[in-house]
Amino acid sequence: MSRRNVRNFCIIAHIDHGKSTLADRILEHTGALEGREMTDQVLDSMDLERERGITIKLKAVRLTYQARDGQAYTLNLIDTPGHVDFSYEVSRSLAACEGALLVIDASQGIEAQTLANLYLALEHDLEIIPVINKIDLPNADPERVKRELEESVGLDASDAILVSAKTGQGITEVLEAVVERIPAPQGDLEAPLRAMVFDSHYDTYRGAVAYARIMEGAVRVGDRIMMMSSGRVFEVNTLAVFAPQMTAVDALYAGDVGCIIASMKDVRDTRVGDTITLADRPAKEPLPGYRPAKPMVYCGLYPVINEEYVSLRDALEKLQLNDAALTFEAESSAALGFGYRCGFLGLLHLEIVQERLEREFDLNLITTAPSVQYRVVLTDGTVLEVDNPAKLPDAALIDYVEEPYVRATIMVPSEFVGAVMDLCQDKRGTFIHMEYVTPERAKLEYDMPLAEILLDFFDKLKSRTKGYASLDYEMTGYRESDVVKLDILLNGKPVDALSCIVHRTKAQVRGRSLAEKLKEVIPRQQFEVPIQAAIGSRIIARETVKALRKDVLAKCYGGDISRKRKLLEKQKEGKKRMKNLGNVDVPQEAFMAILEVD
Amino acid sequence: MKETAGIYVHIPFCLRKCEYCDFHSIVVNDRSEFLAVVDSYLCAVQREAQYYASWMEEYRFETLFLGGGTPTAVPAEKLAEVVVYLRELFQLPVGAEITCEANPKTITAESLNELRDVGVNRISLGAQAFQDSLLDVLGRTHSAADVSTSVQALHAAGFTDFNLDLMFGLPGQTMADWQATLERAVDLAPTHLSCYSLIVEEGTPFYDLFSRDLLDLPGEDTEADMYALARDVLQRAGYRHYEVSNFALPGNECAHNLLYWKNQPYLGLGSSASGRVGTMRYTNAADVPGYIAAWQHNQPNIAHVEALDKDKEMDETLICGLRLLDGVSEAEFRERFGCSLWEVYPDQIKNLEERGLVQYRAGRLSVTTQGLFLGNVVYREFLRSSERRI
Repeated sequence: MSRRNVRNFCIIAHIDHGKSTLADRILEHTGALEGREMTDQVLDSMDLERERGITIKLKAVRLTYQARDGQAYTLNLIDTPGHVDFSYEVSRSLAACEGALLVIDASQGIEAQTLANLYLALEHDLEIIPVINKIDLPNADPERVKRELEESVGLDASDAILVSAKTGQGITEVLEAVVERIPAPQGDLEAPLRAMVFDSHYDTYRGAVAYARIMEGAVRVGDRIMMMSSGRVFEVNTLAVFAPQMTAVDALYAGDVGCIIASMKDVRDTRVGDTITLADRPAKEPLPGYRPAKPMVYCGLYPVINEEYVSLRDALEKLQLNDAALTFEAESSAALGFGYRCGFLGLLHLEIVQERLEREFDLNLITTAPSVQYRVVLTDGTVLEVDNPAKLPDAALIDYVEEPYVRATIMVPSEFVGAVMDLCQDKRGTFIHMEYVTPERAKLEYDMPLAEILLDFFDKLKSRTKGYASLDYEMTGYRESDVVKLDILLNGKPVDALSCIVHRTKAQVRGRSLAEKLKEVIPRQQFEVPIQAAIGSRIIARETVKALRKDVLAKCYGGDISRKRKLLEKQKEGKKRMKNLGNVDVPQEAFMAILEVD
Repeated sequence: MKETAGIYVHIPFCLRKCEYCDFHSIVVNDRSEFLAVVDSYLCAVQREAQYYASWMEEYRFETLFLGGGTPTAVPAEKLAEVVVYLRELFQLPVGAEITCEANPKTITAESLNELRDVGVNRISLGAQAFQDSLLDVLGRTHSAADVSTSVQALHAAGFTDFNLDLMFGLPGQTMADWQATLERAVDLAPTHLSCYSLIVEEGTPFYDLFSRDLLDLPGEDTEADMYALARDVLQRAGYRHYEVSNFALPGNECAHNLLYWKNQPYLGLGSSASGRVGTMRYTNAADVPGYIAAWQHNQPNIAHVEALDKDKEMDETLICGLRLLDGVSEAEFRERFGCSLWEVYPDQIKNLEERGLVQYRAGRLSVTTQGLFLGNVVYREFLRSSERRI
């Protein structure tokens, strides 16, 4: 098929605006899936993704569409992740396309994520087709959405398509618009190969599979390819497209989207954003925009049972095969023993990894409070990067500390502007800009410490705006900050794994509520357990877990013994899930308590 | 020498179900239907007894316990018939402890006479509390005054050995209520008292209320205070605290229940009953019609069988034995298992001793007062079998 009849596009949307359902309808409509093959939302193939209703890994599907002009078109639909943690991956998948469907919920309107992704798409010069979805809902207000589109981003909303992905209404119009409005891919077929990796995944039998858009040149089975970021060379053994089943092809040409399999050991051999070229006839320059994924959030992962340390490492290695953004290195804690310091793109990424470790690898883990990476400048001029509060040097040795900042964009109905401003203020935000997108909706911009966003900013934002606010943010750099280390002492002994780094103005309040929270989660023990929060040697808060006074089964007679023994076994099992620190049994949730305090 | 053993018979009938009770029992309202079910049920019990009798040669049966349910919900002459049958079948010695559980309002001097005449010599009466409002909350069918009337009937029928069941940690119960209950119980001069803290069991109406946060329980600290008060009041009245929940005048400890706590064999008869014979423990299905139907064909209706290996038996000997304030005798343990407590549980004993929860004195390992209050912490340590499975 001629390249003139190829269209590469993606769908961008705020979470829950119906991206996956729209993708399903498109697949159905183009016959890529028969009704009986349909499971809802086929693009979200991981169970976890489907459960959480988010797309973690993007995938590409090749569709054939018979258009009204009588010609057949090849449509490559590239799915994009819908969470701020994965914004880099979004930018790479956008770079693989010429156009994008901008999906907006007809009742919700434009959200922060919609805007963030839209700006990204405009940066890549994509043709934008606005799609107003869920018009079947009783509270749908497509006219308001159109107004928002025109007033906020100056997009011509007159040709926005009204769709109900649920009922299938408007899907043909969407496909026609893809054919008519999105340009066919360009790119010199004769130039040296330049293919951009926009996703990869690990397959047990094939190794790492790179999903790539061929920008220039061509690649054939048997070619020796080179990764331009690392210089590593592999031989292509399979090229394929997904229709949506994997279908092998002999070659991929400029404009095509497909996957390249070349006995690569793991996904770090084929990093998202990297450029693939031919080893024997390399391109002069890689494609722009590549940056290695860099963790933003760190936490310690420790097995509850020390013996599982090795299994934890094996599991992390396996996950890393498929997740180039996950980093880990061994660390140890006086309280928790041997574990790993892991780096993540964000909190969602952290939760997903943690849940997979527990679910797929059957590990019983303690997760310490997430931390950002601080830049610590010592009095002798040495600069340290500290992502573990326990590693913060003594205050006397520190000249100053810098913490990472983000530019946060918040979309919110006008009535909540005051509440959001209060919250941002409280979270040490610096006001940057505000504008009314429409009289009903405002866009706020703040510079904020990433650490505050990690804590509970999003939950608070949602609760103060009845769920209407949406948030997006991007890293802007480091700023000097007056932070201190807050220590927690159980039974008079500091517990390194419970330490956290907080802003000095917050230390008092944080210390008090952390002690209160710990009092709730630490069960009564044989002895009274004092909980103290301290900065240096100064105690700033104190709580006490009262001693357990009575815990004994009232009855145990003949018929009861089996049942009573099971009960005791269950108790014992529960106790095993706790970490014994000194004499104190501490449950797993205690180590995450910092996330739940005010 | 033959091993001492006991017989438990479960009588799964009640006038009404109590709000907290998760024991297996049924309520049959129609009188003639009830009598017919009771007849078939007790017939099945006799068949079950007959079935086991042939291979019980190695045991010397010394106690019989009729529990429920409410055994005295069944006409006394029918219970008497079963007692006579079992006494003969298992050759219970004259004067063997034969206990029957009873509820106030289900006994009279006449019915008690009938039971006494066939050898029942111990009655365990469910008094629970002496405040009508609390009895009402529990769903009991009797008043506090009925308890006194029943005790008079016991005396009239010549029962000098009787137990009162009491409960604490009840919804709405105050320390003053509990103190009054203990004092009034002591005034009735029982030989034995069981004081149970309320356990909210799944599947009971209480559990339903509890999970909806509608059960006004006194709380852990008050419950501990109530337990301490029971010890205080009863010990001063001359009762010996001999098991977690049990107090007796010296010499009036319940011989049948001691078999459980000493991990000795017992035969369990009736629906939902458990028995421990040889190296196995079985539990009958909690299903009255199923039980009756099965024994019409001389078939057991067992729901669960568990093999007891030596390790499990040792663990259970400790878990049950440490419920007794006298604890576990090193000499008896050694004689039974051929090894010392310290060979089997070196770390556990050391750890618990260091924490002040157990002590070893005069050849016996027992709980300290704190270990008594924190019994579960102690018992858990002696569960080795679960560790190996993990």
